[in-house]
Amino acid sequence: MKILVCIKQVPDMESKFKLNSEGNWYDNSDLAWRMNEYDEYAVEQAVQLKTQVDEADLTVLSIGPDRVKEMMKKALAMGCDRGAHISDDDSFKKDPYEIASIIAAFAKDKEFDLIFTGMQSQDRGSGQVGVLVAETLGIPSITTIVDFAFAAGQITAKRELEGGIKALIKTTAPALLTCQLGLNTPRYPTLPNIMKAKKKELLSIPVAELHKVASKQETARMYFPEKRGGGLVLEGAVGNLADQLIKILKDKTGVLA
Amino acid sequence: MNFQLTEEQKLIRDTVRAFAENELADGSKERDEQERFDRVLMFDKLGELGLTGIIFPEEFGGAGADYLSYAIAVEELSRVCASTGVTLSAHLSLGANPIYLFGSEKQKQNYLTPLAEGSKMGAFGLTEPSAGSDAGGTRTFALRDGDEWVLNGTKIFTTNGGEAEIYIIFARSDKHAEKHHGISAFIVEKETPGFTFGKKEEKMGIRASLTRELVFENCRIPINNLLGPEGSGFKIAMKTLDGGRIGIASQALGIAQGAFDAAISYAKERKQFDQPIAGFQAVQFMLADMATQIEAARLLVYQAAYRASAGLSYSKEAAMAKLFASETAMQVTTKAVQVFGGYGYTRDYPVERMMRDAKITELYEGTSEIQRVVIGSMICR
Repeated sequence: MKILVCIKQVPDMESKFKLNSEGNWYDNSDLAWRMNEYDEYAVEQAVQLKTQVDEADLTVLSIGPDRVKEMMKKALAMGCDRGAHISDDDSFKKDPYEIASIIAAFAKDKEFDLIFTGMQSQDRGSGQVGVLVAETLGIPSITTIVDFAFAAGQITAKRELEGGIKALIKTTAPALLTCQLGLNTPRYPTLPNIMKAKKKELLSIPVAELHKVASKQETARMYFPEKRGGGLVLEGAVGNLADQLIKILKDKTGVLA
Repeated sequence: MNFQLTEEQKLIRDTVRAFAENELADGSKERDEQERFDRVLMFDKLGELGLTGIIFPEEFGGAGADYLSYAIAVEELSRVCASTGVTLSAHLSLGANPIYLFGSEKQKQNYLTPLAEGSKMGAFGLTEPSAGSDAGGTRTFALRDGDEWVLNGTKIFTTNGGEAEIYIIFARSDKHAEKHHGISAFIVEKETPGFTFGKKEEKMGIRASLTRELVFENCRIPINNLLGPEGSGFKIAMKTLDGGRIGIASQALGIAQGAFDAAISYAKERKQFDQPIAGFQAVQFMLADMATQIEAARLLVYQAAYRASAGLSYSKEAAMAKLFASETAMQVTTKAVQVFGGYGYTRDYPVERMMRDAKITELYEGTSEIQRVVIGSMICR
């Protein structure tokens, strides 16, 4: 079985974001980077599947500048067999269609049985890349999965819907799955595996070899929403706090009118 | 000099940090209050991650990483739980490392491998009521009787004592030799008849870490459990403590960093006179001093660890790192309590625990005074 997992490096979401000079993306400098959280679940699911089936080969793919290799090493230490780094300093400028086309161009003649991606990235959050890869390759996709099982060629996945409803979806390989938080418990890479990861294959492929389409959309502007009035912190003794709260509820809301 | 960590070192740091924050941080207050050592969380899980054998070769169940990775791991654990930091440091530097450095091939297979894999825990017994910094005062005796050594005596202040399965014990094997001559090192397993545990210390800090008395009464161990040549115990102890000091220096560094992180985040939130206290120069100056001291300590600790990995001499550098990092930990945690003001003195915030935890780093594995003796003797000879 051949498995592909696609991951993205995103800034630590606790970073202090600034806008870039064009005002259409965040400033990439002085940020701490990590693996997109949704992708950690995708890697974990791929590694679990690889352990479950015999003779699986698991490739991890990421598009971006050299620094993404650090995160790819983590995926290799978690259990991926080999890495494909699509080298691209400008990946953040590409729209979801371009990114998906690059991944599909890489995957098209490699006959992956299963492809895992995160449901969305924490920085762009379009939620489109996984689905577009599947469409481009002409394979089914199941999105937002919260449970996954594979037996006798059959894929059974649970999807999380609004209103607390779940859906059970069945399909057969080849297929693509986009992973929701909580799908599993991503493992910590062990130290021996971190050390072994440096010996695993990590191919670098220039993006120009795979990037053959034009973008279909552009981010015209990125901005911080205008600040609304901040919250109110009440201070003082308990009795006094209650009085203050009642006054606010009376004056500003209809609750105690 | 290259100040960049390698990709592996960064990944190890991020992994241990994530583990520490997700698994260890929440319970550290409660474990401290209850003086509770949690074997699964504070040791077994470290074994699963491969931390218990981080510096040893794969053939002995280790991760094959370098000393700097080890220092970073102890630092990250200690940032949220100093008791876990010292548990690992005592296990690895003091319990397992002497077997790696001085053990026979068979001893490494029998003892180092389970220690490195984390299926067994290690400890080190040197200190006695009459022998602390002065190992020459050792009153535990080892008498040869046929194919066995017979141990008699008491060790105190043994970290991981009672819980560890494998102990490195120093005893006088030659009654007639003076001072530090005639001391040998032995590997003693828990459950050996004649080996029992005495008083469990009630401590000011690192209260979740075990510190216990070891009692040997006609404890018979096989001759094969002599570690290194007979009479070389003092040398083994000193060499072991050189490495141990890097572990304790890393623990001190982590405690300081944890206290600083808490202080700066509090200073940005806490408002007085209509502004965050981080806006006041008096507080900023404290934070600036803390950050600078921590950075200087980190460079000393990492340098000592780098030298240990590179096969260079590091006795002096380890002593300097331990001296400076432990004094930094005490000063930074004290300032962190100051930044918190009255709240810092309460158990609602972690800095009072960190201040209590910091003090031990100036005391064990050689007091600050002994570090100065080590450094002084090396620069004046």
